Amino acid sequence: MGLEVDIIFKIAGVGIVVAFLHTILDQVGKKEYAQWVTLFGFIYILFMVASIVDDLFQKIKSVFLFEG
Amino acid sequence: MIKIIGAILIVFATTWTGFEMAKQLTERSRQLRDLKTALQSLEAEIMYGHTPLHEAARKLADQLSDPLQSFFATFAKKLIETETIVRDAWEESLKEIWGKTALKKNEFEIMKQFGETLGRHDRVSQQKQILLTLTHLEREERDARDKQQKYEKMMKSIGFLSGLLLIILLM
Repeated sequence: MGLEVDIIFKIAGVGIVVAFLHTILDQVGKKEYAQWVTLFGFIYILFMVASIVDDLFQKIKSVFLFEG
Repeated sequence: MIKIIGAILIVFATTWTGFEMAKQLTERSRQLRDLKTALQSLEAEIMYGHTPLHEAARKLADQLSDPLQSFFATFAKKLIETETIVRDAWEESLKEIWGKTALKKNEFEIMKQFGETLGRHDRVSQQKQILLTLTHLEREERDARDKQQKYEKMMKSIGFLSGLLLIILLM
């Protein structure tokens, strides 16, 4: 369970930093870089969440189908 | 424990990089300003002081601060000690100190072109050439100041924030 909480904090941290980067890049008029940064942050977190959800599905499978 | 030390080192390094980049921007506009002052003094030496070029260069080297000081010192030394023409001496000293300055290729071209006219005309045309170069440098300085205002803060923040991001990703 401790690991899960860690991951939530990690996602929050990435979110905050990426938001800051986006704001700063936006302010100086580098909109395209700002969008790229946000996109990469989003993709990174998406992968992280996808792997956790995968874990969840494996667990559900093992509970209800008596596998693994 | 060792993780925290590593994290601090990463943040320190990236922040430092950001500050160095911001410093580069500040230095560029400062050096352009110095360069303009130098050319104005050179004009005064030529027009009103009737000073020979190597002596004028030596005097300028005494007046200015570092990157330009060594430039004019090298230039004067080359003119006195070696058998060369002004244009070559100018260009060689320019190339020698260029790595130490924060200036860009545009300024290098401007200065090189100015060196090609140096010492080949009478005083009035020489003054016109100096004024032309000053105009070019003025434009570059405005550009440099714009960039400084725009990007100086950004470089600092981005340095720090990218360090933070790197730490979070590696944790």
